[in-house]
Amino acid sequence: MDTLTDDRIKKGLSVFGKRMDGKLFSHLNSCVHCGLCAESCIYYLAEPKGKFIPAVKVDLISSVYKSYLTFTGKIAPWLVGARKLEEKTVSEMIDLFYGACTLCGRCVPHCSIGVDISFLVRKGREMLARMGYVPQTLQNTINTALSTGNNMGISDQEITETLKWLEDDLRFEVNDEDARIPLNEKGKKILYTLNPREPKFFPLSVSAMAKIFHTAVESWTLSTRMYDVTNYAYYSSNPDDAAVITNRLFDEMNNLEAKTCVLAECGHGSRAFRWEGPNYIGKAYPFEVITSVELLANYIQEGRISVDPGRITEPVTLHDPCNLARTGGIWKEQRFILNRCVQNFVEMTPNGIDNLCCGGGGGQLAMSEYNERRMKIGKLKFEQIRQTGAKIVVTPCHNCVDQLTQLNVQYKLGIQIKTVAEIVGDAIITDKKPKQSSDEKPLNFVLNNE
Amino acid sequence: MNPYLWFATAALFFCLSGCFYHFFRLLEYGKPPDLSKPLGEIKPAVRYALTRAMDPRKKESAYLHLPTYTAGIVYHIGSFISMAVFILIWLRFVQFGPSRFFLSAFLFISALCGAGILIKRIVKKELRNLSNPDDYISNILVTCVHAITAVTLIRFSLFPVYFVTAGILLFYIPLGKIRHTVYFFAARYQLGVFYGRRGVWPPK
Repeated sequence: MDTLTDDRIKKGLSVFGKRMDGKLFSHLNSCVHCGLCAESCIYYLAEPKGKFIPAVKVDLISSVYKSYLTFTGKIAPWLVGARKLEEKTVSEMIDLFYGACTLCGRCVPHCSIGVDISFLVRKGREMLARMGYVPQTLQNTINTALSTGNNMGISDQEITETLKWLEDDLRFEVNDEDARIPLNEKGKKILYTLNPREPKFFPLSVSAMAKIFHTAVESWTLSTRMYDVTNYAYYSSNPDDAAVITNRLFDEMNNLEAKTCVLAECGHGSRAFRWEGPNYIGKAYPFEVITSVELLANYIQEGRISVDPGRITEPVTLHDPCNLARTGGIWKEQRFILNRCVQNFVEMTPNGIDNLCCGGGGGQLAMSEYNERRMKIGKLKFEQIRQTGAKIVVTPCHNCVDQLTQLNVQYKLGIQIKTVAEIVGDAIITDKKPKQSSDEKPLNFVLNNE
Repeated sequence: MNPYLWFATAALFFCLSGCFYHFFRLLEYGKPPDLSKPLGEIKPAVRYALTRAMDPRKKESAYLHLPTYTAGIVYHIGSFISMAVFILIWLRFVQFGPSRFFLSAFLFISALCGAGILIKRIVKKELRNLSNPDDYISNILVTCVHAITAVTLIRFSLFPVYFVTAGILLFYIPLGKIRHTVYFFAARYQLGVFYGRRGVWPPK
């Protein structure tokens, strides 16, 4: 760890200074140390050690706050457990905030008081980021995104070539020489984004969406300049880096004059752009933002695509990404889709907004120094999957796909892992003409009681 | 006015001033601006956060720890009763009638619950490591007030002890963790705003 200087301390404490607001102030002062949050945390469930109790993380950041900003903390720090920002404290913060939390937020609705624990962990990460203590493995991914425009460092030439051969593939698959993957076209209804892992490692999910867009006769485009849905600075909680990355997609939406930004299947990317992004850049978006899951649900509901559930007969289960379901409000849509695309859909328990995190969130996949912990907590998800008897696990998040893939190998699950787009792509009937849809009609999925 | 009542009066005003100070600071800091486009509505979500979201059947902190949860509920009800009794006595209303036996019995039980929670905090290593002196002092003071109120309702001659004990607690409230009395509602409100905007609460 680099030396903790007075300047670094001042930068870290600025989170409590002029950046303090009513939300942070409330949560810093609310925890009563009951410890009843323990069993809601996957880290604690995987390894029942006191340090993994979520309240310990709350106490860590609030103890620093008390030391510098409360009367009792200043005159009697021993009374309230106030702690100065010293090397030992910072070291503990790095280990717990970056290395022992996926920001899944499962502890939050279960907390006796209602402390937004994951929000406080992110604030703790922000303190560390401002002090320059982001784990290097995570910062490297962010630096790649900042310097190349995507977190995998894929060049313009590489992405264009990849998308061109996927276009050839699409034409063959749908038997239509006019089928296209439009690139950099202005004035389209949809600008679709990608997780860079897709063109690099999972091109089938790009193909699937291209097939769906073609079948739905959608007005859409990709951008080869800025397509990355991810924002790893959300994980580091460096708002300056996060703003740079958000602005790029924001600017590209405006450059291409698209009406709706459709976010590829990525939990943190959806959250970072849709929910945090306007606050990173200090402006509301003049365009619509939806996730691809909502779009696919809309297509099926509106009859713009038809699907045949008879094609997928193996038992299928669903892993809900935390940032999409619990903190994004999107959990009915993927169920609507699966109930129409597969014959045998089996829920995990718990699921939806109470799901268990797969263990891959919070930047854990980028931080190799915490791999052992990550695979340990992933065992809980392995157990959930095993209990369903499913042969296919669907998840609308590429980080989750990555984590589940590694769990599949480690724990010998013998399953296939697919995105929602791939399932729809497998079930879609491509030779059925879609219902006419007005360009002006919004792409909202209307929730009925299912 | 006797000196014990003066002490309790001073403590009450200190407590109220302190709590209002915390409350006004909260208001001063204000709600953080949120420029994202909401998916749901805030008002029903805040109502949900303050009511059904705390249903013990929904919260693992409750149903996985029923004895502790129940003791905590009884303890909190005892605190509200103690506070109400203090205000009434401070206002010189001491005609509790036969109800004082019921109130006394309940406060005796809530004091036992407080003692049980304290013992758990001392005995469980994980809780001990999470705790600081404020946690123990807060619990001891509140439990003592429950107990002394229970006894005073039966034996009014204990008023001096009662006012001193209650006074010490009232002085302590704004300084330690018991000020969560103010922040609890703010935290629930903030949760309602957060989940409401995102269409998570109330559940669809």
